[in-house]
Amino acid sequence: MTFRQARWDEPSIWDLAESPPAEPAPAVPGLPERMRRKERLLWPELSELQVLRHYTRLSQMNFGIETVPYALGSCTMKYNPRVSEVLARRDGAANLHPHQPEASVQGALELLWRLERILSKVTGLPEVSLQPAAGAHGEYAALLMVRAYFLERGELGQRTEVLLPDTAHGTNPASAAMAGFTTREIASKDGCVDLTALRAAVNEHTACFMLTNPNTAGLFESEILEIAETVHRAGGMLYYDGANLNAILGITHPGRMGFDVAHLNLHKTFATPHGGGGPGAGVLAAGEKLGPYLPIPRVVKTGRKFHLDYDRPRSIGKIKSGYGNFGLDLRAYAFAISHGEAGLQHVARRAVLNSNYLGQRLGTSLPRPFRTLVKHEFLLSGTPLKARGVRTLDLAKRLLDEGVHAPTIYFPSIVDEALMIELPETESKRDLDEYAAAFERAVNDTPENLHAAPQRLAVKRVDEVRAAREPTLSWKDLRHRTPNHQKAASVSAPP
Amino acid sequence: MRGPAREATGTLVARWIPDEAGEEASLLASLGIPSVDALFADVPKKARIGRLGLSAGLEEPEVVAHIDKILARNRPLGKFSNFLGGRITSRYVPAAVDAILQRSEFYTSYTPYQPEASQGMLRALFEFQSLWVELTGMDAANASLYDGATASGEALLLCRRLHEGRRFLVPASLPWEEKSVLQNYATGPGLTLEEVPYDARTGNLDLEFVRTAVRSDEVFGMLADVPNGFGHVDEGLWELKSILGDIPYVVSGDPLALTVLEPPGEYGADVVVGEGQGFGISPSYGGPLLGLFACRKEHLRLTPGRIVGATVDADGAPAYTLTLQTREQHIRRSRATSNICTNQSLMALAFVVYASVVGPRGLAALQVSLAEKARTVASTLGSVEGILSPRFEAPYLGEFTIELKDSDAASFLEKLRRRRVLGGIPLADPRPGSPAGPARILVAATDTTTEKDIQKYARAARAATSGVSK
Repeated sequence: MTFRQARWDEPSIWDLAESPPAEPAPAVPGLPERMRRKERLLWPELSELQVLRHYTRLSQMNFGIETVPYALGSCTMKYNPRVSEVLARRDGAANLHPHQPEASVQGALELLWRLERILSKVTGLPEVSLQPAAGAHGEYAALLMVRAYFLERGELGQRTEVLLPDTAHGTNPASAAMAGFTTREIASKDGCVDLTALRAAVNEHTACFMLTNPNTAGLFESEILEIAETVHRAGGMLYYDGANLNAILGITHPGRMGFDVAHLNLHKTFATPHGGGGPGAGVLAAGEKLGPYLPIPRVVKTGRKFHLDYDRPRSIGKIKSGYGNFGLDLRAYAFAISHGEAGLQHVARRAVLNSNYLGQRLGTSLPRPFRTLVKHEFLLSGTPLKARGVRTLDLAKRLLDEGVHAPTIYFPSIVDEALMIELPETESKRDLDEYAAAFERAVNDTPENLHAAPQRLAVKRVDEVRAAREPTLSWKDLRHRTPNHQKAASVSAPP
Repeated sequence: MRGPAREATGTLVARWIPDEAGEEASLLASLGIPSVDALFADVPKKARIGRLGLSAGLEEPEVVAHIDKILARNRPLGKFSNFLGGRITSRYVPAAVDAILQRSEFYTSYTPYQPEASQGMLRALFEFQSLWVELTGMDAANASLYDGATASGEALLLCRRLHEGRRFLVPASLPWEEKSVLQNYATGPGLTLEEVPYDARTGNLDLEFVRTAVRSDEVFGMLADVPNGFGHVDEGLWELKSILGDIPYVVSGDPLALTVLEPPGEYGADVVVGEGQGFGISPSYGGPLLGLFACRKEHLRLTPGRIVGATVDADGAPAYTLTLQTREQHIRRSRATSNICTNQSLMALAFVVYASVVGPRGLAALQVSLAEKARTVASTLGSVEGILSPRFEAPYLGEFTIELKDSDAASFLEKLRRRRVLGGIPLADPRPGSPAGPARILVAATDTTTEKDIQKYARAARAATSGVSK
């Protein structure tokens, strides 16, 4: 299959039409002159068709799940069911204000309540809040809950440290630091938590150990029960980063594994669209110890009525406006009830089957650093390419030319030249085989071609160093610094 | 482990999880294993679960019918005369906006880690950043945060990086939810919020209080909002920078208001945040929303969030990429400027498409028309006995606050609801034990508000305040 991406010479939106001449913004009755905008907003006046054509052309210069397989490890890029898009746009879903009286939003509250009950069963943790906007936001809220828990017990002064494996997602240490904890990374052994090192690290200063299982090497932490016991014996909390939950749906869950609190990414496991980086939805589920600290309000059912309960004196309060990303909660609910009990287990089984199959196939091209029985994703190392002067980055760019999305690269950092690959349950065997064939063509291509990749996309290799060295971040920068972006660009073109 | 859970051919799940011609068997054969069960041999028996306890899966028509039945228990905004506003509005969204959002290349894509494959989204985000820069008069914007409240929280943290101190000043009139969110962003580093009181007549900030507070050396930043929590435009915002001096000044601004108001960058703001939902995003019961964030160029490397920058490709042609990533969690880990990874890119796209479809003249005209309507609402309600409307004597745009003399806000609004009027947002903190305070309600004119709606509100309000219920 030969792939070519659309390559429109599409101007920026402000170059599609003249902006209206400088003039003051219209006067608002009762507004003092001093507060008024002296010059009208500088933005072009365009016809609806001009706007549509512009953004449609831009869209054609972007990969999406409906055009290509998206092998980003830890991102779980599965099909986003179309039916959910239809349902989320219903009048009774889209046109609800968060401050409507409860009696007029009983359906919304019921939907949130039902989703919470499903997610409670999926996580094995009794208390659920849908409020966080994303995974990292859920992590942060959970660590504030851990903080409040120890504060209430007079232990916060002592429990100042959050432990994490060196394979943890970057959001984990960042969230811990924001919540006021110091962080310590525990070196992994063969891609998994080194139980001896963990036992040596936990002590009376341990507030929490953050872990994703299966981990970012795609491996199931088989010693999870011992890990939980170790952390709990030291008086710490065990946090489940749910980014990789897809692999264990209906097989095991954070509650059974001994976790005290978990976040889930509905935009991964529950197939809500990620929209070019967001929105997401980062559910929190907690056990008995941390449940009382979840954000308010909580959705409760009394008789046949649903309402928002603010009477949670130990709650950390609010973590964002509203009650969560309702539009995404609805999509996740549609996904969950479509699958049901057997279907969710089928998700995990097929995702893991796909990953092991593709791992086996690609393992003939590049070495696999750890054991080969993997869960949702697997790692490869691009180290052997270095002998040919080729790096993992070149391979990733060359893969784009095949009309497939590159894996996550250079993560986790414990693997040299890492590639992290995940093609979840919605990819067919044919797509896996085509991915494998594309990968083999890319690995075996000449160093010249690999360095020159990509060639078939809207742009060639992007100069990221220049972007960071001379930040040009808006139209205003383009106007002020380089009157003609195009011209400036050609001046610095390589010989 | 239970037996294989493969779905029967033709079911919805079978459409989503492909098994053309029994390909699962072929995958297993390649791996040389008899069953998928073997792939879970590393999950210890003691960690396994039995059933989740969920119902059986549904087919697509059943899913639609089930969810429609639940949604039928909602009464959407169009069924009411609607005066709800605050940071979240129910403005009409031209169909063209959703047509773009439904391009699957946009809505099913991930964060543009590979810029060559993501020029479309990167360019749209660059245009979005440009628009927020134009609206705010600032130097640079990021590619979005979760919502206005969390953007304020991130701004608080930026202020602390720029200035010593433990106290962050916020208006006492700030909506309680935003104070609660801000408190949660302040908690980690051990910082505290301090409320700046307001003038009882105008609702404007007590600038003397601010002057005194900044002398203490304890204040590391201040946030003020425009319009403020009462819906009014406080002239004090134009004075604050001269009082704060080198203490960072955050303005939380409504994007539509900023089409007619002087940009905060012109009167000394160091950071401008806001809630962008009103531009092309349906209220969806409060999410997804859109956090807006702009700052001065010299502070860029201390700011949170993804940032898109213009550069060139290997041929020297214009190209776009995520940039300044060494601030971010995936590189800097515990020393990152924020933990943010997921943002609200698709909502940022909605924002810039909406503004481009409506156009700069249309946006300003919309704000003027809302302001005119709001004045009619305010004076009409002011004629109702028992209601002080508007409560505060200060300029306003599309929203203002009323105060009930003898009734409480919750029962007043519930009586209105029964007459199909959503009368506004009660300003009191709903948490038990919070001070009761005066019965104040934030009332908004919307683009669908008609003269008939306004009269209906007045009639319902008269009935509610005179103790007459339906």
